[in-house]
Amino acid sequence: MRGIYTPVTKIRRQVFAEIARLAYNGDDMSKLEEIPYKIIPGEVPTYRDSVFVERAIVGERLRLALGLPMRSATDPAPISKGAADADIPEKYYEPPLLDVIPFACAKCDTTHYYVTDNCRGCLAHPCVSVCPVQAVSMVDGRSYIDRDKCVKCGRCKEACPYSAIVRYERPCAASCGVDAIESDELGRAKINHDKCVSCGMCLVNCPFAAIADKSQIYQLIKCIQSGAKVMAAIAPAYVGQFGPLATPDKMREGLKKLGFADVIEVAVGADISTIHEAAEFLEKVPDELPFLATSCCPSWAMMAKTNFPEIAECISDSPTPMVSTAHAIKEKYPDAKVVFIGPCAAKKLEASRRSVRSDVDFVITFEELMGMFVAKGIMVGGEEDESEPFTDATGAGRGYAVTGGVAEAIRDVIQEMDPDREVPIETADGLFECRKMLTLAKAGKRNGYLLEGMACPGGCVGGAGTIIPINKATASVKAYKNSTEKKHATESPYAKKKK
Amino acid sequence: MQKLTVQVCVCPECVMNGAMDIMEAIESLNKLKVQLSLHASVNIIPRAHLGEEDHGSKSPLVIVNNELIENANAETVMSKILTHLQ
Repeated sequence: MRGIYTPVTKIRRQVFAEIARLAYNGDDMSKLEEIPYKIIPGEVPTYRDSVFVERAIVGERLRLALGLPMRSATDPAPISKGAADADIPEKYYEPPLLDVIPFACAKCDTTHYYVTDNCRGCLAHPCVSVCPVQAVSMVDGRSYIDRDKCVKCGRCKEACPYSAIVRYERPCAASCGVDAIESDELGRAKINHDKCVSCGMCLVNCPFAAIADKSQIYQLIKCIQSGAKVMAAIAPAYVGQFGPLATPDKMREGLKKLGFADVIEVAVGADISTIHEAAEFLEKVPDELPFLATSCCPSWAMMAKTNFPEIAECISDSPTPMVSTAHAIKEKYPDAKVVFIGPCAAKKLEASRRSVRSDVDFVITFEELMGMFVAKGIMVGGEEDESEPFTDATGAGRGYAVTGGVAEAIRDVIQEMDPDREVPIETADGLFECRKMLTLAKAGKRNGYLLEGMACPGGCVGGAGTIIPINKATASVKAYKNSTEKKHATESPYAKKKK
Repeated sequence: MQKLTVQVCVCPECVMNGAMDIMEAIESLNKLKVQLSLHASVNIIPRAHLGEEDHGSKSPLVIVNNELIENANAETVMSKILTHLQ
């Protein structure tokens, strides 16, 4: 549930903290078997009808948090089976990134309309009149919908004067912008991995905590413990995520306490990407391309290329901020390991691409990083902590985390390069809205535009791996952006102006 | 106008366990002043540490007018605030 702390959130975060503890303590993998008893104590179930089921689900979550494949409920293996394979100081990942834990799924019914007790059986019953397929009738004095006939147009719902008809959707399917949620033979949700773009919205919207993604925190901690020089690249949405005292000035010290050699803001890479995309827009639109769409959100870019292959070339080929930042770090420190710390599940997938793999060694989310802080007992932003402000990034790069920030940054640079150039912009957040925007663009109605797409609500601040409510995160990012002295991407020391 | 001070621990464990969501819930009460007939202002103070140094199993910790709430959540904190104000 976005922006509301629920038991689902609690369990997810407890799992990350326990996996981090396992790594920090150097415990044997057999300790994994004990963790479900710590997270689900006692004999009385809290969330489901049995503590054994609750613990079994936690067990699968622990495996996924280690990066291990999920087991079938028919597999007699213990939780720790194969865990030794994941006990390495480098990324351990095999697809898929995201999956439904089948026995945690509550088998929610698929989309349909139904009549609630609000129905008064009114004389007018407009629900019957508006149905184009005669699926609605009056039975025993109230409205009745025949699901075999219903075509789910929603007209009856709109017409009811008592709001008695509701559209029922599976929360996972309702949140999926690419229709990737299907059903298995037992009626449980199943992800179609050919369609899934790993945005993680199903993961945070499933009220039964049945969906999880794989994590790399265990291997990252092992890498830090091995003595490697590990550099943290932290995405612009981090501001405010770790509490009001963990200000940007204090984050560097907090991360150094975890063992990171140093920290760089990914906003630096965002500035590089901004300049690249501005130059690309001026060079290609409108002569070579009808419009240009931003590339920084991996789920959006993947959805656009998969669902709209005719206009795939209009998605910018600029390196994303994560890639630009990692590349800049590796240029300076070729032996360093780079960890991208962000709000995003899909970045884990992006970093596994062959072209990116050599620059980005690990990807973790803010939630997973918080698990590391908790496991280590590190307070970020304590009074005794050194204040070390980040100085390289601009306000434009720091604004990437909020919807509209990317397009605004690019437009500003375009107009700096060509003051007479008009740059119409359209932005969309959430993959449903992104698809609508691209449908219009495909029809030729957005020619000359700069389009910004973000898979998550509100932009990266609404990512699946965030900690705080979206409105709070948005306010924090905007305040930080506005307080930055250097406003435009071209003011960044990393940016080489392209003309 | 009545004034109430609410202290919220924002140590990592409390933030991980929903301290920011509790703050959001407290702030949301200001939008319900008419419905709740409230004539009060609630002052929220984030604290680096409340209670014992290592209060993991008790987090999040919140203090409403000197009254400590362990394992706090939005529901219990809003209820306690309204009890103090009514």
